[in-house]
Amino acid sequence: MSIRKPVCDVSRNKPSWHCEESYQSLSGGGNGFKKDTQQPGTYGTVFKAKNRETHEIVALKRVRLDDDDEGVPSSALREICLLKELKHKNIVRLYDVLHSDKKLTLVFEHCDQDLKKYFDSLNGEIDPDIVKSFMYQLLRGLAFCHSHNVLHRDLKPQNLLINKNGELKLADFGLARAFGIPVKCYSAEVVTLWYRPPDVLFGAKLYTTSIDMWSAGCIFAELANAGRPLFPGSDVDDQLKRIFKLLGTPSEETWSGISQLPDYKPFPYRLLVCNPALRMAAEEAMTHPYFSDLSSAIKNDRCQ
Amino acid sequence: MGLYLKDICNILHYSQQWLLDRQDLIRERQQDLQILTEEEYQKIFIFFSNLIQILGEQLKLRQQVIATATVFFKRFYARNSLKCIDPLLLAPTCVFLASKVEEFGVISNSRLITTCQTVVKNKFNYAYTQEFPYRTNHILECEFYLLENLDCCLIVYQPYRPLMQLIHDIGGQEDQLLALTWRVINDSLRTDVSLLYPPYQIAIGCLQIACVILQKDLKTWFAELTVDFDKIQEIARYVLNLFDLWKTYDEKKDIQALLAKMPKPKTQPSR
Repeated sequence: MSIRKPVCDVSRNKPSWHCEESYQSLSGGGNGFKKDTQQPGTYGTVFKAKNRETHEIVALKRVRLDDDDEGVPSSALREICLLKELKHKNIVRLYDVLHSDKKLTLVFEHCDQDLKKYFDSLNGEIDPDIVKSFMYQLLRGLAFCHSHNVLHRDLKPQNLLINKNGELKLADFGLARAFGIPVKCYSAEVVTLWYRPPDVLFGAKLYTTSIDMWSAGCIFAELANAGRPLFPGSDVDDQLKRIFKLLGTPSEETWSGISQLPDYKPFPYRLLVCNPALRMAAEEAMTHPYFSDLSSAIKNDRCQ
Repeated sequence: MGLYLKDICNILHYSQQWLLDRQDLIRERQQDLQILTEEEYQKIFIFFSNLIQILGEQLKLRQQVIATATVFFKRFYARNSLKCIDPLLLAPTCVFLASKVEEFGVISNSRLITTCQTVVKNKFNYAYTQEFPYRTNHILECEFYLLENLDCCLIVYQPYRPLMQLIHDIGGQEDQLLALTWRVINDSLRTDVSLLYPPYQIAIGCLQIACVILQKDLKTWFAELTVDFDKIQEIARYVLNLFDLWKTYDEKKDIQALLAKMPKPKTQPSR
């Protein structure tokens, strides 16, 4: 199926993109594919299908192009161009990109389930050897991404796919980006809360591979605890509280530069310091940026 | 220099698929060069690079995004004749795609069209007497063709970053040298070097030209670089040829005739 375009007259001198008709739905007949929940995408829906020619089982991610103002969504563009570069056993393979009127379909290697679903199937127990194997594969996939200048930026159990052979693969690169190009302002709203590092929670924008390493650490703990998340925060403040409760509260002494982060609100953490010598004085606490938007009526109260 | 060499390796890793050689380019352009001379062909590309630059500046895009859009544009026509897609449509489409890839945030399509209309009317009325004829649906269709023809290779490395490292390596206060080389790199987008050479070589070639212009002697520093100096000389020659061409060429006077002569798609949008 090729669509006639009124203004574009491109000669097709190379194999053109295939169309979705090359694939047969595996889950239910009819016109549409039945939704397969294995890869909950940040954009588009995922279906399981079989290549009519090769009989290979694949996962199709369909991106609708309804938004006339955006065209192909940037998350889809990023996923396509990054996965094209990343061919590794521990990274889900992008086989093809299909295009037809008003939609784009990404053809991925199929995996049986994601790590979240795998956790759900456990009865609160996990074989330590599996923990070790999964964690090693996660790190190997990440090392490959990072050596190719790619940050994943959204690691979580839902984005790690597991197949029957016990192989783990990184998926969903919709938020990933290449960091070879210096970019000053990354979008701050990146990475699901539970797997977000404190620097990003404090609004850091110039982050590096360390963002993925924090997520990997959280996932390791979750693996070892058979699926119980390490820091299941309900909002940014709760997330930070849970982290500092376990790891101790950072200060300028243990983390130089922390107070320069845009959303850094050490208050009341700077008060809850074990070492009394490092505990903030009242005068100092009152001048803290936390109070910068306090109404001047209160600030200028005559108190004596 | 340790970090610098590592980065060069990474840059090389990405660039290979889209590094063409001179013979490829000549072969691919055969069809268009039956109608246009090589110089006319280059002048048309200079014109559209200027258009992309102005369009990008009006949209307040960073130079990195503008450079990526220009490289997309050149890559498309490195594999296709000018008559496949009207460059006046492909140019804004490249800007649209580049802004998404470079995580600049999406420019709204309608704002893009409005800007195109203003730019064509106010800045390029010496080339176009009619108003900008394309609408959002044309851009969206064209984006597909662009993506397909780029083979989804959207990460473009530019000479700007290697330049920063080179300047850092030279050491000292080199603001003037940096600014001038940066401009020479912008100029180099009007030549074929971005199709033929990896970004770090282009950066070195442009740096050399800037040194000559500023009469700055860095011979011993250049001698320590581990690069293929034949390639650097080739790059410098491309850019110097462009400067020569500019000395005698009056775009405002010649471009209408060139655009009229240019191969065009059979179907034109209704105006």
